Amino acid sequence: MLKFIVRRLGSSLVLILVLSAIIFLLQEITPGDPVRAYIGLNASPEAVAAARESLGLNSPLPLRYLHFLGRLLHGDLGVSFRTHRSVVSDLGDFLPATAELVTVAFVFALVLGILFAVSGALRWWGTSVLRGLLLVLATGPSFLLALGGIVLFYSRLGWLPGGDRGANASGPTGFLMIDSLLHGDVAQWATALQHLVLPALALAIAPAIAIGRILRASLETTMNADHVRTARAKGLSEGAVLGGHVVRNSIGPALSMAGLQLGFMFAGVVVVEQIFSWPGIGNYLARSIPVSDFPAIAAVTLVLGTIYIIANALVDLLQAAADPRLNL
Amino acid sequence: MTVAKIPASRMRVLAFTSRTPSGSRASMAVASLLLLVTIVAVLGRVLSPYDPVQPVGMLNLPPGSPDHLLGTDSIGRDLLSRTLWGIQISWFTSLVVVASGLVIGGAIGVTAGVCGGWIDNLLMRFTDLFLALPGALVAIAIVAALGPGLKNTLIGIMIVWWPYYARIIRAEVKSLASRPHVEAARLAGVGRGRLVLRHIVPGAVPTALVTASLDIGNVILLLAGLSFLGLGQSAPAPELGADTARSLQLLLTQWWIPITPGIAVLLMSLIANLGGDAVRQLLNSKR
Amino acid sequence: MKFADVRSKRSTGDRPDTHPAEGLAASIRGLTVSLERDGARSEVLRGVDLDVGRGEIVGLVGESGSGKSVLALSMMGLLPQASRPRTHGSIEIAGVDVLNSAPSELRDLRRHELGVIFQDPMTSLNPTMRVGTQISEVSHDRETSLQLMTSVGIPDPELRFRVFPHELSGGLRQRVMTAIAVAGRPSLIIADEPTTALDVTVQAQVLELLADLRDTFGCSVVLITHDLAVAAQIADRIAVLYAGRVAELGPVAEMLRRPTHPYTVGLLSSRLSLETPRNLPLTTLKPETATPAERMLGCAYHSRCPLADEKCSREQPPLAPVALGADATLLHERSCWRSVAQVQALAHSRAPVDTVLRSESRQLSEAGESVRLDDVHVRFVLKSGARHREEVHALRGVDLTVGAGESLSIVGESGSGKSTLLRVVAGLIPPTSGAVHVGNKGAQMVFQDAGSSLTPWLTVGELLRERLRPLRLGSAEVQRRLDLALTTIGLPAGIANARPSELSGGQKQRVALARATVIPPSVLLCDEPTSALDASLAASVLNLIRELRSAFAMTVIFVTHDLSVARLMGDQIAVMTQGQIVEMGPATDVIERPEHPYTRSLLASVPTIEVTTS
Repeated sequence: MLKFIVRRLGSSLVLILVLSAIIFLLQEITPGDPVRAYIGLNASPEAVAAARESLGLNSPLPLRYLHFLGRLLHGDLGVSFRTHRSVVSDLGDFLPATAELVTVAFVFALVLGILFAVSGALRWWGTSVLRGLLLVLATGPSFLLALGGIVLFYSRLGWLPGGDRGANASGPTGFLMIDSLLHGDVAQWATALQHLVLPALALAIAPAIAIGRILRASLETTMNADHVRTARAKGLSEGAVLGGHVVRNSIGPALSMAGLQLGFMFAGVVVVEQIFSWPGIGNYLARSIPVSDFPAIAAVTLVLGTIYIIANALVDLLQAAADPRLNL
Repeated sequence: MTVAKIPASRMRVLAFTSRTPSGSRASMAVASLLLLVTIVAVLGRVLSPYDPVQPVGMLNLPPGSPDHLLGTDSIGRDLLSRTLWGIQISWFTSLVVVASGLVIGGAIGVTAGVCGGWIDNLLMRFTDLFLALPGALVAIAIVAALGPGLKNTLIGIMIVWWPYYARIIRAEVKSLASRPHVEAARLAGVGRGRLVLRHIVPGAVPTALVTASLDIGNVILLLAGLSFLGLGQSAPAPELGADTARSLQLLLTQWWIPITPGIAVLLMSLIANLGGDAVRQLLNSKR
Repeated sequence: MKFADVRSKRSTGDRPDTHPAEGLAASIRGLTVSLERDGARSEVLRGVDLDVGRGEIVGLVGESGSGKSVLALSMMGLLPQASRPRTHGSIEIAGVDVLNSAPSELRDLRRHELGVIFQDPMTSLNPTMRVGTQISEVSHDRETSLQLMTSVGIPDPELRFRVFPHELSGGLRQRVMTAIAVAGRPSLIIADEPTTALDVTVQAQVLELLADLRDTFGCSVVLITHDLAVAAQIADRIAVLYAGRVAELGPVAEMLRRPTHPYTVGLLSSRLSLETPRNLPLTTLKPETATPAERMLGCAYHSRCPLADEKCSREQPPLAPVALGADATLLHERSCWRSVAQVQALAHSRAPVDTVLRSESRQLSEAGESVRLDDVHVRFVLKSGARHREEVHALRGVDLTVGAGESLSIVGESGSGKSTLLRVVAGLIPPTSGAVHVGNKGAQMVFQDAGSSLTPWLTVGELLRERLRPLRLGSAEVQRRLDLALTTIGLPAGIANARPSELSGGQKQRVALARATVIPPSVLLCDEPTSALDASLAASVLNLIRELRSAFAMTVIFVTHDLSVARLMGDQIAVMTQGQIVEMGPATDVIERPEHPYTRSLLASVPTIEVTTS
């Protein structure tokens, strides 16, 4: 198992390097001039040439990549054209809001997905109507879900707020729902939750259905597997059959789908945060795109990509823990 | 080194139709919806009653207005015309992306599966690298780096879209190549090229087609998202995601203006999913 | 006969009483089960009556589709809900009415009274749960589980307790399955084809284990199998199932000596054994021609039965006692309209005749050689990484010479390298070292699974034409050769337009043979071509291969795991294990005077039917 973990983490490291290389290459071909970002648009051509030399931009490509990596390791992701601040400090400000949103959305997706998967066992007609509705909604673009949610639950019904986080995080975690509890502020906790519901749902529905469908299919397959027949033949109760012989065996595909869906959530969060004016890095990225603020775009891609790679390494480890045959 | 994940389907969301043997006619009907959308897309410009770029009526007309079935936007352009043009662009772009996935992924997958050995290893490691990255996010970064526009959007998505096809087609080819019928054909004196083209590749076609038809909806959604972020065509060209983004400020007053293009995207993606599912069932029942 | 002592040891013996009347482990009355498949409902069992006495082993024999597995599932109350089962009649096990009890009662029944062994131990054990845990789910504590593991013959139980099923061999997995089956001290064990997925030598061990368990625990066993000989090894009574009905039911010795149902007679005569005459065509059963509806009407076997008359196709014969005096305590029953004397006459009409065997040691020098292998080694790399590299040494120095026109059978268990050897001769696998020579007309091969050896999307005609392409013949000549090949093989010419999926199992194997011989090769390689076919179909394919061999004067190399088939198909037999030929010689010599211990152990494991002609 240890060997497997080490190998899997090693491969994640390689992947992160590849991601950084891709971003480096994109930075190379992007029309914007990084030098101007450092010294301003009004600098003289001589100053530009000097800066170019000092930034190492005249050295060959592999060297420039090493230089880029070195800066990455020192936490230097460049300066944003738009905010004129270091991208790292921008990210520090915006990342917690996104982390909270994605975490909540991911939990929603898992819960909804599991409900979707097991709802087939219920005989109530309403469940199939709900399932059909979710299936249709899940084919819609995330901006449609977000906007539809705002129109219905904010503008028409007035049940939920239509944007924003409701308050500023006051530390220490940056997760409003945790910080408010730490400060004993229940009202703020409720506000934070209310503000989270719509954007999190807009993000969660499509992944929930994807996870739910895979889980359902794999539960069905497992329920018909020979070893489950053996378990029944042993005279185990339905609960023991499900708990001991079905769940663990069918969780694998759903886990890997969940890992995969995280990637789509990271893309969706850019759209959803923009619509809800959520102060996160998705919104930061969305605002950087129209002004071609590539250092910001690159940094967000790198951060979210890295999180994605690590999350999927964890998914693989979980899968290996669930199925000993994978642990080879 | 890398661990590739291929769940049963990528982000595929829909399966309304159940497995009934009598459902093959229904599947046929649903699958033909794909053709219908294609026809609508082909005729999009002919069907649209007005020039989508020019103001042609009063401002902010609601849907159902005479002369403007879906209403008009804040500068008086006909929403139906803009939507039809948008559907055309969106549908064909996603077909092109899916086709590129089939061609690039298919070429790599068949090569890897047939050659085996170090070629297979090399190609699949490369594929796995791409597959293990968050594709949609990398696509955003690529288009952002290249600059917005339809051509760059296409390039950006194509770069991240083929690995999935390569994986699936390679797996199919590999399993076909290990079947006894290939050994038997080799013994019967069939040459290498003929072996691949006649005894292996035809077997991978149904899987590739099913994968592709189920994938159209995914591409439509991603395209709409990129367009919403301003990475598609520049204004005033009609484009479904961008039209929503440009009219966001009207959400609380004239909600249908930003919502309409979104509904169009939903319908296309819904039909693509239903149609893809029907294609899968038709091809599976034939086996 | 010396191969039959496994059984004789068991059948006389001091086991608990086997008298059904004194107490029944299970009693089935008029059981009818219908299931839905692809939307169509069909009756799988049609009025089955069967009693299982305490401590008795009942062999349930039938071919695929006879309903034997459905009977097992019905007894456990585990009919698949997905196929919407409908049942009539009754099953009573340990006082529980299986068909009409609440789920919780059935669970208790399964927990306390039933033990089950399924066919494939790989899929029937939970891959994600440790072996010990799976046993302890029934036995409830570790100590008992370890004892059970010891008693089913698992060496190192402490070590094996903590492994996962995929880390065990097939034989050990089936032993684990058996340990689970007996863990609840059941009164009845249901074993559904427990040996089919296993190698011959392991098969014998598992059967022996089952008989031992009956002796130690005093439980009853229902042994379900397609092979009459397997059942004959340990069963006290045998029930022959045909198309959802009991055709014949009786004590083993009685039934084997004096079968009273034409189907049983057919099963016995089409079964290949080490005594089957080598010089005669093999007996085959008539193929089924009746539609399912016609079969429902009269005796289900009537369209295949040589004795059938008008009545048989109209009225369903009831299961009725046969008046046989020998052992009055154990009832012998059958369902057939024809008289016992008529059936017995049928049984004796094809009695084995001791004829002189065809002279088999043809002089090699006369005919020249067709295949020669010199010190052939084959190594496969299973996993290659930077640091570790796993290799399989599939062939370890094989020397082999087969004369032109000669036939050689290669016998071995899975992993012995026999299929690799065949592929080396075919040129599909290059030898790692050593030399291979094949006659100038090359080698062709037919595969175990004929269906998958035909390209699914090409027609039979296209497949055959592909072989003729290199000859560059005119289209009329190609057509003539094609028709000829199909006729030779006994297929209608119209089949050239069919795709493999439209063919039956037997037809597929015939098409494969037609493709192999449309240009007669120097050597025809057969890789277990009949092991996937039902017994009577298999016999007809074997007959065909023999005919083709003499028609085209081909060398035949026939690979099989079955010694009886090897004996019938080869002038010579080579026995392989662990990548080497350990014994080779004329077929009769190898069978009758085996020299190598491995050959002897193979021979001892062959399930045989003991017919005491007293």
